[in-house]
Amino acid sequence: MNEILLSILVFSPLLAVVVLAFTPSNQEQSLKWIGLFGTLLPLVLAIITFCQFDIGSSAIQLNEKINWISFTIAHTDSNVTMPIQYELGVNGLSLVLILLTSVVAVLAAIGSFTIKGQWKSYFIFFLLMEVGMLGVFASQNLFLFFIFFEMTLIPMFFLIGRWGYENKEKAAYSFLIYNGLGSAILLIVFVVLFMKTGTLNYGELANIFANGGSGLLDSVPGETFRLSILIALLLAFGVKLPIVPLHTWMLRVHVEAPPPVVMIHSGILLKIGAYGLITFGMGFFPAEFKRIAFSIAILGVVNLLYGAFIAIVQTDVKKVLAYSSVSHMGIVLIGLAALNDAGVQGAIFQVVSHGLISALLFFLVGVLYERTGTSYLKAYSGFVKTMPLASGVLVAAGLASLGLPGMSGFISELMSFLGLFQTKPIVAAVGTLGIILTAVYMLRAVMAITYGPLSAERGKLVDLNVREMVPAYVLLALIIAIGVYPDMLGMTIKSTLDSILSGFGG
Amino acid sequence: MMQYAWLIPLMPLLSFILLLLLGKKLKEASAYVGIWLTAVPLVMSFIVFFGQWGGESYKAEGTWLTIGHAVITFGIEINPLNSLMLVIVSLVSFLVHLYSKGYMNGDERVPVFFAYLGLFTFAMLGLVMSPNLLQLYMFWELVGLGSFLLIGYYYFKPEARQAAKKAFIMTRIGDVGLFIGMILLFWQVGSFEFDDIFKAVASHEMTHAMITLTAILIFVGAIGKSGQLPLHTWLPDAMEGPTPVSALIHAATMVAAGVYLVATMYPLFAASTAALTTVAVVGGVTAIFAASIGLMQKDIKRVLAYSTVSQLGYMMLALGSGGYVAGVFHLTTHAFFKALLFLAAGSVIHAVHTQDIEKMGGLYRKLKRTGPLFLIGALAISGFPLLSGFFSKDQILAATYEDGRFGLFWLAIIAAFFTAFYMFRLFFMVFTGEFRGAAKEVHESPGVMTFPMIVLGILAVLAGYVNTSWFGTFLSDYLGKGEVAPLASNHEPIWISVVATLVSLLGIFMAYLIYKKGSLSRDWLSRHLPSLSSVVYNKYYIDEVYHAVIVRGVRAFSYGWSLIDRYIVEGIVNGAVALVHWLAKLGSKCQNGQVQTYGAVAFVGLVLLLLIFAVSGGYFS
Repeated sequence: MNEILLSILVFSPLLAVVVLAFTPSNQEQSLKWIGLFGTLLPLVLAIITFCQFDIGSSAIQLNEKINWISFTIAHTDSNVTMPIQYELGVNGLSLVLILLTSVVAVLAAIGSFTIKGQWKSYFIFFLLMEVGMLGVFASQNLFLFFIFFEMTLIPMFFLIGRWGYENKEKAAYSFLIYNGLGSAILLIVFVVLFMKTGTLNYGELANIFANGGSGLLDSVPGETFRLSILIALLLAFGVKLPIVPLHTWMLRVHVEAPPPVVMIHSGILLKIGAYGLITFGMGFFPAEFKRIAFSIAILGVVNLLYGAFIAIVQTDVKKVLAYSSVSHMGIVLIGLAALNDAGVQGAIFQVVSHGLISALLFFLVGVLYERTGTSYLKAYSGFVKTMPLASGVLVAAGLASLGLPGMSGFISELMSFLGLFQTKPIVAAVGTLGIILTAVYMLRAVMAITYGPLSAERGKLVDLNVREMVPAYVLLALIIAIGVYPDMLGMTIKSTLDSILSGFGG
Repeated sequence: MMQYAWLIPLMPLLSFILLLLLGKKLKEASAYVGIWLTAVPLVMSFIVFFGQWGGESYKAEGTWLTIGHAVITFGIEINPLNSLMLVIVSLVSFLVHLYSKGYMNGDERVPVFFAYLGLFTFAMLGLVMSPNLLQLYMFWELVGLGSFLLIGYYYFKPEARQAAKKAFIMTRIGDVGLFIGMILLFWQVGSFEFDDIFKAVASHEMTHAMITLTAILIFVGAIGKSGQLPLHTWLPDAMEGPTPVSALIHAATMVAAGVYLVATMYPLFAASTAALTTVAVVGGVTAIFAASIGLMQKDIKRVLAYSTVSQLGYMMLALGSGGYVAGVFHLTTHAFFKALLFLAAGSVIHAVHTQDIEKMGGLYRKLKRTGPLFLIGALAISGFPLLSGFFSKDQILAATYEDGRFGLFWLAIIAAFFTAFYMFRLFFMVFTGEFRGAAKEVHESPGVMTFPMIVLGILAVLAGYVNTSWFGTFLSDYLGKGEVAPLASNHEPIWISVVATLVSLLGIFMAYLIYKKGSLSRDWLSRHLPSLSSVVYNKYYIDEVYHAVIVRGVRAFSYGWSLIDRYIVEGIVNGAVALVHWLAKLGSKCQNGQVQTYGAVAFVGLVLLLLIFAVSGGYFS
């Protein structure tokens, strides 16, 4: 089964899509449970995949390769066949992200029980989006990556536009336009790479750029070419991550999309930006990445501080968290720009850690919104009294987000800064201001909700129910587990990390 | 025994977890869980301490995180300094647990309270057992968490929320210094291990400038945690927490962690005169500065809080002056007498339900055990001869004098006068004269509260005898064994003792004249120097300045940026969206059904394509 395990995993959510298609659209409970089971299957398969994976090896594992499309073009004096293959495979990094995706998807599906109406199409879009996400991380081929990447955009567009809040349409359009522009750049980059090298396979591309030579090329493509491709990649994935000033679309999505969709969006979709930068940017063009590393470090610090400063004065908890995401993605850039073990490992940890923490925070925002009908900080106060469990988890999530030791956020922050201090200490020192600011805005938001006097009309709030406890506790447990014993995650990504860093000669 | 030492911090952690899970069922019985799970570590700490006394050091570590080739470990270490700290922490924690059983009686969130106490105790014990700087940093933050949660225990009070937030953020500002210092050390040494760092310092692997820089950055962390200038403002506000918490966290243990940090990293500090001078100056200035504020406060807990800040300043002064033993010695004695004072103050508050000393008075007759115990604590901290504070303060003064910083020496002497004065101002106003409060019935606290005070009272009297020049220098010998630090020889000139004693007696006498006898007017200062008195009374307006400059500044800056984000950055985005709309409209205009237009467009397109081919000579070549 190992030969097609990844394909089964990637397309497994489709099973539930088919079942949903044949379920009457008014059967609310069945639709929700089918949706939930539809996300459990990939989780089980992802765990099986993890068991099959050899942590010690840095090779791409569980490979699948099928010839898919090929065409012939004229090249100088002979005809060359350009193959497009269906190629899947995983390394430590993509495997971790697949696991993250399948966990967050299950928990977001549980969170989706509060969705009002049109459950059938909601869960169909939701599951299609999961196929896209799993595919993005399992692909070993740019063409396939692109298709899966687009597959996340369209369902997302509908999920925001149909199930969101007041300004949902506007948010959906700005999501589509911005990501569409990013995709367009990505497509051009991929086509150019294909035409220049004749391959779309990650490994082969990395090899060509490192050593030169292929069917179409006699020498390694020029430096200017490589640098411009890298910058185009930075732009395309910079929209996704997002890098300031390309972030405004994502604020709207955070504010307007329904909370379970934001769990997915903030937890997983933003991480595709980081994954792309690591796999393509650093993987294909290590030397050029080194050249622009200083700029990336600056961008990272700008992201970190820009998001943090603005988060301090937000009045809507969703906006606080949205800017917090901008800020935390700055840590990813800081780690990557360090170009050493500590930094890149920190960036990857941050990808996973922020995925868990932001999913948890947005889940709780959903819980609060469902009970109060608002997300304005002013409308909250003293929830510890009536919702001690939810408040406790919220405070814990806030502390994780601000990097309290013992939780995952600390590890990634520590390693990213550790990395950057070795190579660019001054930039890193400026960035540490973000550590203080994060505490300021996070405590402000979290304590405004949980602490303080409880107003009289808020007397009847019910605490977390059993269905809500599952996502809250599972996410918190994972956050603490990584924080207490980080090597658990570190060992899985170690070999991938080594192979990325070998490109930098260290 | 040493191989089981790791159980010491885990028991309070167990208490935390158990109480979180079962607190609702256990209710009042939660206190027993907390008390038992700190009693056992107390016994174990004593065993470890005496084992260490017998010369047995211990270290055990395991892999925690791998970064490239660097393996970061997690483990425990037992050395002379930290086994002493273990005893102090677990003893005060146990006594405070016991006391809280009485003090918190009737509070509906008792399980939560004991859970937080357990979490704090776990973190504090973990902190002192850390064998490397990173682990210390992690527990350092976790004790901050415990402090934060307990300050905000009365979560419904807006002041408590504010104080908790302030404590977290102010200490975090310091922590960033420690964070940077730790990272810089890592890249210098290649490890977070204390032993490796000291080896690198000793073998001159690090440049002198780097040693100074990292030492000062680490000291910034200590400034935040120990409430030293200029990051002291959170500590008085932290008094919003329940009083047992103030005794445990904000007097005896956590705030002393800054002093412990400097003591632990002493070889690094000792290698840089500039770093030591920084420590000494910050400590000395803080000592007199906080003591002067303590002279005028009206809240019993705030007077004690400023006193704590001031005493921590003394400890820093000692360390900065090369008085390693003196600093650690004062840390020990202070832990006992200040915890005693706080618990006694809690007992008073428990009895009269106010913290305003204007509304107390004449309580000595009514609180027959609290009164004498408070007096013992007050005498001890004032440096009254033969009590613990007398010896430790004496050695600090001697170390400062020997170090040759006479300015700081005289500041410390004046601060000693202030200390005696404000403590006895407090004593006379609370315990003597007529009762000025509203409470009808004033009862002594139950035995579960007075017993811990009695234990601390005994220690406040006797703890000084562990290190005296004429009774035996057990502590110096013991700490010296660890060979972690160069020890200043304490040949104290006898006149220093005499001056210090006279100064503290004078302080007590002045307080007596003003607040008991009334021969001097209480508002003498405010009448003759109104501006000075109001500056001191308002704590030198530091909070106000911080608020006006930093808090408002950051908020204004943030607000400005959010406007830029909303109007300029978002404006550009909207521009992009509008552009797409415009293009779409343009496109739809082209599809107007007129064949001529279509033909024209197609022709232009063809011409363009041909041109491109003609110029480039082919496809992607």
